[in-house]
Amino acid sequence: MKTPRSLRGTAAFVAAAALAVTVSGCGSSSDTSASGSDTASESVELTVTTFGTFGYDDLYKKYESEHPGVTIKATNIDTGGNARTDAFTKIAAGSGLADIVAVEEGWLGSIMEVSDQFVDLRDFGADDIKSNWLDWKYAQGTDSNGRVIGYGTDIGPTGLCYNTKLFKEAGLPTDRDEVAKLFGGDSATWDKYFEVGAEYTKKTGKGWYDQSGFLWNSMVNQLSEGYYKADGTLNVAENAELKSRFEQLASATLSGQSAGQTQWDWGKGKAFVDGSFATFTCPGWMLGVVKGQVEAGGGDASTGWDFADVFPGGATNWGGSFLSVPTTSKHQKEAAELAAWLTAPEQQVAQSDAAGTFPSTVKAAEEIAAKATPNEFFNDAPTGAILAKRAQGVKAQFKGPQDSVIQENVFGPALVQLDQKKTDAAGAWDQALKLLDELVVNN
Amino acid sequence: MTSTMTPHGSLSDGPEPEPPPRGASAGGTRRPWRHRLSRLDTKASPYLYVAPFFILFGLVGLFPLVYTFFVSLFNWKLLKGQGDFVGFDNYVKVLGDEYFWNSLFNTASIFLLSAIPQLVAAVFIAAVLDQNIRAKTFWRMSVLLPYVVTPAAVALIFSNMFGEQYGLINNILQNFGLDPIMWKSETLPSHIAIATMVNWRWTGYNALILLAAMQSVPRELHESAQLDGAGPVRRFLSVTLPGIRPTMIFVIITATVGGLQIFVEPRLFDSSGSTPGGSQRQFQTTVLYLWEMAFQRQNFGQASAIAWILFFIIVGVGVLNFFLSKSIATAEAKVGATRRRRREGAQK
Repeated sequence: MKTPRSLRGTAAFVAAAALAVTVSGCGSSSDTSASGSDTASESVELTVTTFGTFGYDDLYKKYESEHPGVTIKATNIDTGGNARTDAFTKIAAGSGLADIVAVEEGWLGSIMEVSDQFVDLRDFGADDIKSNWLDWKYAQGTDSNGRVIGYGTDIGPTGLCYNTKLFKEAGLPTDRDEVAKLFGGDSATWDKYFEVGAEYTKKTGKGWYDQSGFLWNSMVNQLSEGYYKADGTLNVAENAELKSRFEQLASATLSGQSAGQTQWDWGKGKAFVDGSFATFTCPGWMLGVVKGQVEAGGGDASTGWDFADVFPGGATNWGGSFLSVPTTSKHQKEAAELAAWLTAPEQQVAQSDAAGTFPSTVKAAEEIAAKATPNEFFNDAPTGAILAKRAQGVKAQFKGPQDSVIQENVFGPALVQLDQKKTDAAGAWDQALKLLDELVVNN
Repeated sequence: MTSTMTPHGSLSDGPEPEPPPRGASAGGTRRPWRHRLSRLDTKASPYLYVAPFFILFGLVGLFPLVYTFFVSLFNWKLLKGQGDFVGFDNYVKVLGDEYFWNSLFNTASIFLLSAIPQLVAAVFIAAVLDQNIRAKTFWRMSVLLPYVVTPAAVALIFSNMFGEQYGLINNILQNFGLDPIMWKSETLPSHIAIATMVNWRWTGYNALILLAAMQSVPRELHESAQLDGAGPVRRFLSVTLPGIRPTMIFVIITATVGGLQIFVEPRLFDSSGSTPGGSQRQFQTTVLYLWEMAFQRQNFGQASAIAWILFFIIVGVGVLNFFLSKSIATAEAKVGATRRRRREGAQK
């Protein structure tokens, strides 16, 4: 589970819908089909499929007014999981894909396996704008043959959300700079995080983090090599670093630091309000999720959530998306043009303002950082500026074709077993390896 | 509808009445031509009339069936498409997969937990509605209300109620000092929860069908049984129940087919989880297993094999049902004969 866009199912849909409405005010993005005007002979209709909260609605209108003859027909799918099913089914069927398809990092690995079904954007000037992006983001959208099949939209630099009220009750510092220092600032470690967590849990008897899954995602993303080696071979059973991190997380979880919540559900937001847990993993796009959950649970800014410029284990990226043009598109040139425009720095800033995402281009990130708009919901924390700092030092990790499956369906169940204290660290690790064998190796 | 088609208006069925000459399109050779046309009509028309169903069935039923079988013989991935021919390997893999058997167990368990209480409750409700109560239509429509709500909405509401930490039911239990029940992570409670959704939706529907059957049971039978001194329970067991047997069979068969294909309820019961059917596959039904295989594990070959195995299972259960209903139908004939004899006796 890498972004809120990879939620699945209808409950997730409801959450996402609530999010779309509350966070960015663009909840009705699914019906933005622009009025078709096929009268002009040169008119081109471009279809775009996005998902979750993309914040593109106003940008579509702007593009249409600047490019007479271009009509944009946009479809927004509720969640990334459904968007993945939609895209995969259409690729399998060989038709039906939009002119521009939004692809999420979590399933980019699968798309890369059929990268020849997507247009090489270098044919349409990708080389000229290459320097716009963070190097690793641009590299992620490039396949093994050097073909560029996706322009990056946003990235997921990760900071730590914490609840000031709960911190205060437990005698911990509440100021976000002091909180950052508490965990070690730039050299914050997981050891320190779990150490403070142990004290907190001992003192309050409550959870330190909501559940193990999100911490695990970040812990894995921080490794130089995650579930795959850079050469594309599986790297789980023999990955000593991975195993030691798993054991570290398992021992903290079993000692009661996990609140054992259900991810993407959180008792319909109540867990964010009733003090079940004090810290939360927050990639940029997660800030909107937190706000939506708190509001769904009946809370507001006074619930006390804040955002600190620190993350245990150092900088990490979780999630982010790309815009791709499938070869089935009849207007590849126009589609590539629109994709380049939508992902250009200026538009990324607009997208960030609309949907809260963090831009993947250097210039846009600088602009967001400079603006440092205080975020009322997070105790006036300058979330954009903090995220810009959190983005520094992020290293791209090679994502294999089954990365999201390993994350969600192999380690997910094992971590749930730990959260429910139904097994020990070794048992959970064995279960993960067994699932890996069944779902990935022998699939 | 046909009442407006007075003799002059019979445009559609040409042959029988001789209509007044309309235009001179057919010319002089009209009689043999019409004759041939009418013969063709009687011979070909019936097939033509049923053709749409078969063409449609061929397109959306038979072709996918055959094509699924074709796919199941290959190593076939969702995105990469057709791979090597592997024969029946996919079937062997599926039959050797513990998750397949787990899904079959879950399907059967949820089916039994839903079908049995559902039928008992439906018969009971139908019997109550069959009495002389006030505002009959109101009550009858009320029991159908849950059926009108879409399964997705039902699943959302119920999965909320059955929440482990914040659910309504566990809250109530805890208020009485009882231990909360792990509705989503334990096998049996999750099956009961899902069966509850199914029951909530289908009990009223089945009750109405059974009610219709009950009302076609001759009232004289009840009256004569009453005269013979049979109480309400005895009358229900010996008159009503045998009278609605064929309908019961229908209800059981539809419940079986529906039960074996259950998907929406278990899928949405834990919609935030990434493994469909619970993190430990506690309530993963066979169709969910198929879905996971096709769209998450992207293994179309094995998914097709599962589809065919499921097809055979349903056919097998269907055949079983057929023989069951046949034996009961013969019992029904005996009951009918007895009735006739009684009626004849009464006339004398």
